[in-house]
Formats: sequence, C-alpha cells, structure tokens
Amino acid sequence: MKFAVVVFPGSNCDHDAYHAVKHVLGQDAAFVWHKETRLAGADVVILPGGFAHGDYLRTGAIARFSPIMQEVRRFAEAGGPVLGICNGFQVLLEAGLLPGAMLRNRGVKFQCEHVWVKVEQTDTPFTAACRQGQVLQIPIAHGEGNYYAEPDVVEGLEKNRQVVFRYTTAAGEITADANPNGSVNNIAGLCNEARNVVGLMPHPERACELAIGSADGLAVFESAVKSVSQGAFAAAR
Amino acid sequence: MRARVFVTLKPSVFDPQGTTVAEALHSLGYSAVRDVRQGKYFELEIDAPTADEARRVAAEAADKLLANPVIESYRIEIETKTTEALSR
Repeated sequence: MKFAVVVFPGSNCDHDAYHAVKHVLGQDAAFVWHKETRLAGADVVILPGGFAHGDYLRTGAIARFSPIMQEVRRFAEAGGPVLGICNGFQVLLEAGLLPGAMLRNRGVKFQCEHVWVKVEQTDTPFTAACRQGQVLQIPIAHGEGNYYAEPDVVEGLEKNRQVVFRYTTAAGEITADANPNGSVNNIAGLCNEARNVVGLMPHPERACELAIGSADGLAVFESAVKSVSQGAFAAAR
Repeated sequence: MRARVFVTLKPSVFDPQGTTVAEALHSLGYSAVRDVRQGKYFELEIDAPTADEARRVAAEAADKLLANPVIESYRIEIETKTTEALSR
C-alpha cells in the first residue's frame, strides 16, 4: 500500500514520516509537493509537521490554500484516511476538515518533550492496531498546540467519541499536570465525524524506533496499514 | 483606499500572550493596567471606487484569511483619503 506525504514549503517532518512508513514499515511512500493537484494514487495521506509557509498569519492559515489541499479535501470527503501531524493537524483545522482551532500554549513556551498520550478510540484508521486505553510515549514539539473549540463543539466531540488521543500521566490518568499546553479536556488529537480524518499534535513519526527513545508511535502507522489492508477506505482513490 | 483591519481573540478565548504582557507590565509597576489582549493589525491598500466597496473587499479578505472565525473577530476602518495624503 502507498502513503503520500504532502510537502509544503516549511514542512520539516516530511522525511521523518516518509522514513517511518517506507523504511521502518516497508510500505510504498511518495512525497507530494504542495503545488501538485494529484495524490499519486495513495491509499493514505499524511500532512506532516513543520512550519508550512512559515506559519505566517496563523499556523496552517496559508497552507490550507495550497493547490494540493483541494485534492486532500476530495480524498477526505470520499472517505480516504488522512493523518495530520502537528502542523498538519493545524492545517486540517484551518481547512475546516477538523473542528476547532489552536491557541498559543498556555505557558507561552514552545514545548519540546516526550509526553504520554492515551488512545481513547480505536475505530479510526490510525488507531485500529492500538488497544483501547493504550498509553503511548510520543514527543511533542509545538508553540501553538493549545486546542480550543466552543463548549458546545467540545461537547459534541466527546459525545461522538471524536477525541482520539488525550494527554495523560504514564498510568493513563487525565490530570492538569499531564496537559503540556492547556488544551481543553487534555485533547491531543481528534477525528472528524466520519472518523477517517485524524489530527494530533504529538509526533508519532519521531517515535518509531527504540534507538531514538520510543517505538510507541509506530502503532499509528501500523493502524493505517491494517485498516487499508482490510479493505476499509478503498473507495477514496 | 486604505482599510485598517483589527483582528482580536474573541472575549471568551484565553489569550496567553496578552496575559504574559500584562504580567510584564505589572512587574514594571503599571498596576493600573488591568488586562491586556493582544491582536493583529493589517493595512490593506485597496483599489475600489467607493468606501463601501473597499469595506466589502476587506471583510471578504478577513473572513477568508485574515481572521479565524473559530477564535477571532475583526473590525474594519476605511480611510478614504488618498494614500499620498496619508503618507505626508
């Protein structure tokens, strides 16, 4: 199966994502420049981390108008699995493919550290290989990861089980101290109503080999392989 | 024509940067400053025949790009004097 990794000017985790799926998982992968209008026949699309278009104005605000985003939207609306990591998550929010917005971190600092993230839902293409409640050790690296949405929107997310990842302690407890950025309800990642579009602030692609500290993130990409190989999401291509 | 667009976080949205600036002002002794909200300011030079048309273009730009309606609101002022007059 094939992963497309979208490359915006300013993306800087594109090679990490490519490495994770191509070299660690042994899947086919292709970079897709943001000015392209086709996704190269991919089964799964990854919007990687970085600072697309310099993050000028707001994170992801300009990237959402890149030509490839029209095709990403079409792919997503057809049910294709799309994963937005960090800046890619911010692009999905600005594009309206996921609800809400990012504010500056509660402590104003750029947070760069390993955190614990609990898998809250396993019926998405990026958590299908995880256990419900599994706690993953994955790094974060962001200045604007303080997830915000209007209270009624957050209520809807919880009711529809759209909160996919939450910041927790190593034991999986949802505490204020475990929340690195002030995100409402400790939200680290979420999905759309159709559950095929997932965004998260932590970087699973930076935690795919024990040699660099953690391989917990691999489960996110293994989930995509499992979901697609089981025939789910085939229509989007 | 010049449009001034002021983008600010909605009142219900916490502003970590504004809070930090307020704390800095307090530490400088400005105890009278009760609160600070930080926003963005844009000047758009617009070719438009009327102030209404300039306002329409600025509002469309703000809706589409300059502001994120989930967290921000905006206010527009139109300066009808020519750019040359303004720069003097």
